[in-house]
Amino acid sequence: MTDAKFLLFFFCAAIALAGAIGTIASKLPLRAAMSLLVTIIALAGLYLTLDAQLLAAIQVLVYAGAVVVLFVFVIMLIGPAPETSSAPGSVVWRMLSLVGIAMITATFAFSFVDVASTWVAPPAGFGTVRGVAGEMYTKALVPFEIVAMTLTTAIVGALAIARSKTASELAEMKRRRVAEDASAAAQPAE
Amino acid sequence: MLSAYLPVFLMLLVATLVALGMFTATSLAGPKKPTPEKLLPYESGSNTTGASHLRQSVKFYLTAISFVVFDIEAAFIYPWAALFRDLGWVGFVAMVIFLAVLAITLVYEWKKGALEWER
Amino acid sequence: MDLFTQILLAIAKILFVVIVAVGAFAPVLLWAERRQSAMMQDRVGPHRAHIPLPRSVVEGLRLTLKPLEAGIFGSFFAAGLAIVALVILLLSSRETLFGQEAKTYYLAVVGFGILGVLARVGHKVHGGIVESGGKIALLGLLHPLADAIKMIFKEDFVPPKADKLLFSIAPILTMVTAIAAFAVVPFADTLFLECATDVVPRDVATVMACDGSGGVATAIPMQIASLDIGILFIFAIAGTGVVGAAIGGYSSDNKYSLMGGLRAASQMVSYEVALGLTIVPCFMIYDSLRLEEIVMWQHEAGIWGIFIPPLTIACVLYLFAAIAETKRVPFDLPEGESELVGGYLTEYSGMKFGMFFAGEFVEVVVLGALATVLFFGGWDVPFLYRSGFDLPGTWELVIPMTDWVIQDTIALQHWAVIVIQVIAFLLKIAILMWLQLMIRWTLPRFRYDQIMKVCWKGLLPLSIANILLTGIIVLLWT
Repeated sequence: MTDAKFLLFFFCAAIALAGAIGTIASKLPLRAAMSLLVTIIALAGLYLTLDAQLLAAIQVLVYAGAVVVLFVFVIMLIGPAPETSSAPGSVVWRMLSLVGIAMITATFAFSFVDVASTWVAPPAGFGTVRGVAGEMYTKALVPFEIVAMTLTTAIVGALAIARSKTASELAEMKRRRVAEDASAAAQPAE
Repeated sequence: MLSAYLPVFLMLLVATLVALGMFTATSLAGPKKPTPEKLLPYESGSNTTGASHLRQSVKFYLTAISFVVFDIEAAFIYPWAALFRDLGWVGFVAMVIFLAVLAITLVYEWKKGALEWER
Repeated sequence: MDLFTQILLAIAKILFVVIVAVGAFAPVLLWAERRQSAMMQDRVGPHRAHIPLPRSVVEGLRLTLKPLEAGIFGSFFAAGLAIVALVILLLSSRETLFGQEAKTYYLAVVGFGILGVLARVGHKVHGGIVESGGKIALLGLLHPLADAIKMIFKEDFVPPKADKLLFSIAPILTMVTAIAAFAVVPFADTLFLECATDVVPRDVATVMACDGSGGVATAIPMQIASLDIGILFIFAIAGTGVVGAAIGGYSSDNKYSLMGGLRAASQMVSYEVALGLTIVPCFMIYDSLRLEEIVMWQHEAGIWGIFIPPLTIACVLYLFAAIAETKRVPFDLPEGESELVGGYLTEYSGMKFGMFFAGEFVEVVVLGALATVLFFGGWDVPFLYRSGFDLPGTWELVIPMTDWVIQDTIALQHWAVIVIQVIAFLLKIAILMWLQLMIRWTLPRFRYDQIMKVCWKGLLPLSIANILLTGIIVLLWT
């Protein structure tokens, strides 16, 4: 790992952590979403340190450009939440959760430190558009097709939640409304 | 590899400096004379009623989720298009199947009225 | 090249792009747009902003008007005499007239002609300034500058109940993403540093240094960053910019702003998908995502993208989607004043409004540059190669009665080639913008449901069909 990559890694990691803390600490939903955006862009920077250029671009394109936009849309649709203070947890529980976090962090840290791995230079063309495409569209065709199915499922689910009227249903509604208006007009005013 | 991205970081830096410069200039140079009327939300002269956040149509949500789906589709198409000639007919057929599934999604949305905006 | 030189070069190119493309070119295009739309609506357009001259200077200028008129007359008279002399020489097939060769008369025509035209223009400008009482208006070109100054000194209003942080971030985000998208756009052919004042060979892969050292010339790509992901960078950055409009609308504490923000974001994301899919056929044909390779392909093939049939369709679809993506007339529903006051910009004032406005306009220029690169050959000028112009065929034209010859190949120094390419690139963007403008001002504003319907039911299926069509054509053809 070169010095520049090391520098970029720590820079992006710090920003990603700051964004992540902002996401859970912010009480305003849209500020939380913006913190998430910061984390996502910093993660793209981390991908760059691993030579995964295409993945970095896709990360920004899909997560920053689409997923965060979806979050922002939902926040804008439902409006601000009523002012709520955080749940009044007892001191003991808070202490316990802190201990839990520390233990998890320690476990991960030591498990990674123990791995005696050397830094291997990636093969030529690694992470480039053509490199990834060559792998994906020859060796991973089935998962690739399954992605399309997954995306379809997403749409079906969204439509089940927020289905709107079809054209024929709209026409039906309009006809009924016109008929009601006509019957209302036909009756003499009382 | 990373040296190719150095100018990008510099560009982002310069763009941020330009934007911050404009921002600071207007915050410092502009006068500040708030009056009670000026501080009201602008609604063409009439007084605002109710909360400033209206409930919005769920159509926007459907548009957003469709956007996410088709944006991911586009993200898969770009690398394919760059390697299209090398992949040949096999790659083409794979993409036709992929696009066909998503076309079915689009048709499904169409038929279910998710693309209608009239009310 | 060491790191320091790389950084210096990058900063030089960034400053060039920011100053020329964003700082100068965009305002000039904005002026041209206002001027043209004023012409179409039978208004004067921008003409008020001016630099005033002191009274005494104006009086002084008034005195010099008369001698200028005499100068114009003199030069045109001399040019006329030279033309008469040339005609006499041609008809009588003599070698000299009044002891002068034909060459002298050619030079006299050109020289006095240019002088006369210059004096005429000078007289016109001069007279205009005197007539208006010492106002240098420059055809209204000062208006964008005046706007910028005005916006900076306007009240910087922040709604009291607004989310101040997000309210401030929104315009910055819009501006930064718009400018940063320029990073991968190539604006000329590779510059060979040591050969700037020499003629570079036309089709050589590695150009040798021209200073006689025998090494390879330092190649400087005329684009800020040459990335493998190429165009994906523009889409990634532009996609993030959508958030700017949305949070601007949300944090303004205004119903109109909220609806405008939602509409803007919804329209932008819809057309972003369409925009992204319309240009996929380009990558299938050019076989790359790198913008510099796309331009090079067109340069070497000698054909611009728009003349390749599947891309002609793609170009039309792209231009449609690009106008809608930038939320300009007739797609300016998010800011439609008849429905939403100012849309998501309602509560913005001063330069914060200006940043949204400028960001939007820079985005228009970026999309115009992208169209130029993908469909109109980027910096490519027909018959201009690294070595200079090479017109088709082998011929030469001798000017009558002189030894002057015009050939089919005109060698140009390297720097001149680069400058011509940059100018051609900017000119193409300007022409595209003008085309968009003519479309914009001839159509009434659409309804919101119509815009969304055209995108999801029209552009999207068409662009997917175009991808398949291009695939079949390319696979059968190769």
